[in-house]
This record gives sequence, structure tokens and C-alpha cells, in this order.
Amino acid sequence: MRDKLNGWADPPLLVLASLAGEPKHGYAITQDVAETMGVRLSAGTLYAVIARLEARGLIEPLESDDRRRPYRITAAGAQALAQQSERMSRVASLASHRLSANPGWAGA
Amino acid sequence: MRAGRGRGVRPSASATLLVRAALAVYPPSWRARYGDEVQALLDDSGGGAVAAASLAVRAIPAWFWPSRHLYDRMDPSVRMRASLATVLIAASMLAGLGLVFAQLTQLQGYRPAGHPVIGWCYAVFDAALAFSALAAAGGGLPLWLLMLRRAHRELRPRDSACLLAPVIAPAVYLLALMVTVRSVGGADGVSPWWFLAVTLAGFAAAGMAAAGPGVALRRLRPRGSALRLATVAAGLVAAVMLIATAAIVVAVIGLCLWAPGFAGYHDVTVPGVYLVLVVAAAAVTAVSAARGARAAFAKPGSRHT
Repeated sequence: MRDKLNGWADPPLLVLASLAGEPKHGYAITQDVAETMGVRLSAGTLYAVIARLEARGLIEPLESDDRRRPYRITAAGAQALAQQSERMSRVASLASHRLSANPGWAGA
Repeated sequence: MRAGRGRGVRPSASATLLVRAALAVYPPSWRARYGDEVQALLDDSGGGAVAAASLAVRAIPAWFWPSRHLYDRMDPSVRMRASLATVLIAASMLAGLGLVFAQLTQLQGYRPAGHPVIGWCYAVFDAALAFSALAAAGGGLPLWLLMLRRAHRELRPRDSACLLAPVIAPAVYLLALMVTVRSVGGADGVSPWWFLAVTLAGFAAAGMAAAGPGVALRRLRPRGSALRLATVAAGLVAAVMLIATAAIVVAVIGLCLWAPGFAGYHDVTVPGVYLVLVVAAAAVTAVSAARGARAAFAKPGSRHT
């Protein structure tokens, strides 16, 4: 996985954002990401991301009685997510300001 | 916590079979950790052929870039033994493929006029093969002798036989080859069908020669500096075999481009299939050797591989 969580639709970022609300298992993550962010994560993509986030210590598994193991975001994961959110927020703010300041992009 | 058990859409039997097949191509440690969860996700979402295909494709990075946390309980010796066994087989297959190419081209004395690069490729391949054989012998000999001595001391005839497979299998094959060539060969050598039979028998002999020590590794479970040396040597062999692979690839492509009238190189199907096999064998050799070398250089007390 790249060191930086680049891109607003980067799967690791989406999974972290989904878990920031509350712990979830795999299906709940895919549903949440699809409903709130409009991105469909396949099973292969989701579990590749879960494996890497878990290896990086950004999420951790919780105990479960059945096959549907829930995950929760760790303190390190929350920090990484917060840093990326702040970065994206600055970019969005800058873009919005420059677009509105430039009369040539009035329709953008 | 959000339960979200899903629509309760039960996948069809064929879809379940596809998903199981897709999961089967993942590394065993990955399957043990995530297999049930993935199955549960696909049961909830009603996964079908597309989901299974997406899952299967993701197995490739799982093999090439395994997540460390899946191996943090594995003893480095276990990782080294597994890598050695895999490298033995994959490297012997790769060497066999290279020798077949050499027999069909270099040993026929064929060099396309005006294209020295193919001659260079032959030389690079020869040097790489010789060096890798020396490295394998030098690095593997202490471990082999250690295991042989232990099998003899502990009266384990099956393990002794497995360890002697690299000597017995090639000897039997070469004897059979000599008898075959004398019986059915002519002035121009053997017919294409006999060449194919001899080649397949050669691969079988190479497989047995490589599998024997692999089985012995699993049964005798050696540890220590001899194992580490053999694993590092396997890494060196893999690196050199990558150079040999590159030489084969360049030579085959060159023959297809510049010598289409020679042997079967006017039709790219056979060379294409051949190159796929060569690259696959090289990839397995390199990945397994790298994982073994990582375990060999792991710090004492650290269980990362």
C-alpha cells in the first residue's frame, strides 16, 4: 500500500472513514461506503485493504461469535484519517476559492 | 455496532463453488485468517462469478506482497524450509526449460546472421546456469550433509532416499536417455516425438530430484546456520536465474523477429506458451527465495518473515 492515503476515493481511506463512525464487519463496510460515498468495493478489494490496514496497525479486529468479524479503527488509524481529511479539506478550499475568483471558470 | 447482516441473498451452488475456487488460490495463511469472513461477505451480498473473479485476481498481490502480520507467529526456520522446498522445484523447472531451449537452438549451432544479441544471450544463459549450479551446490551442501548424517544416525531410510533423490533421479534419467538415443536415434538424432518424450521424462526426473530434499526438509526440520546458508544461497540462485530468464526471453523474442524460418519460430504460439512457462517459473522462484531470504536475515527473536 502506498504510504500516503492519496485520493478521495482511495479504498483504504474509504474503509477508515467508514470505521471512524463505529466498528463494522465486511458487509456493513461495503454497504456504508456504497450508501454514503457512492463507491462499490468488491470483496477482493475490501479484504486486500483490510489486510493491509491491519498490518499497518490502522485497524484492529474485534472478537466475534460468527464468521462476520467486525473491525474498529485504532488511534493510529484515526490520526492518519484526520491528517488526510485535513489535507483534502485544504485542497477543496483552495480549489473552491480559486475557481470562484476566476471569472473564466464561472460555470465550474 | 452496526450488524448489517445483508439481504439474506443465498448464492447459488455454482457461485459458492467459484468463490471457494477463488479463495483456494490465496496463500494458506491468508485463507486461514480471512477466508471465513470473505465467504460470509459474499453470502450476505450474493456474490457470483464477477465477485469470484475479482477475488481471484487479488490473490496475486497477496502472494507477491504478503502482509507481515499474517506471519508474525511463524518461526523463521519454518519459512526458510518452505521457501527452500519451493525454490528447489521452481528453479529446477526453470533450468529444465532453459536447457530445452539450449538444446533446440544453441546446441544446434544456430545463430542468426547479423544479430549478435542472440549469441550474447546464449553466453549469459550458460554463465548464469553454471553460476547458479555452483551457488546451489556450495550453499546447499552443508545442509544436505547434515540432514543425510541425521537420517543415517536415526535410521530413517525413507528420508535418506529422499535426500539421495538429486543423485539417483538424474543418474537413472541419463542412463535411460543414453539407452533411448542408442536404440531409436539416427544420424540426425531422435524424432520430434521421441524428443518430446525424453523432454517430459527429463522434467519428471528433475521434479523428483527437487522434491526429494523438499520432503526431507519437512520431515527432518533442520534449523540453524546450515539452513540459513542454504536459504541465502537459494536467494542468490534465484537472482542469477532471473538473469538467465531475461536472456531466454530476449533470445526467444529475437529468434521470432529475426529467424522466423528457423524451427518453429515463424509461429509465435509455441514460443509464447514457452515464455509464459519460463516467466511463471522465474516468478515463483524469485518470490519464494525472497521470502526465505527475508526470514534468514530476520533479527533473532523477531518472528517477522
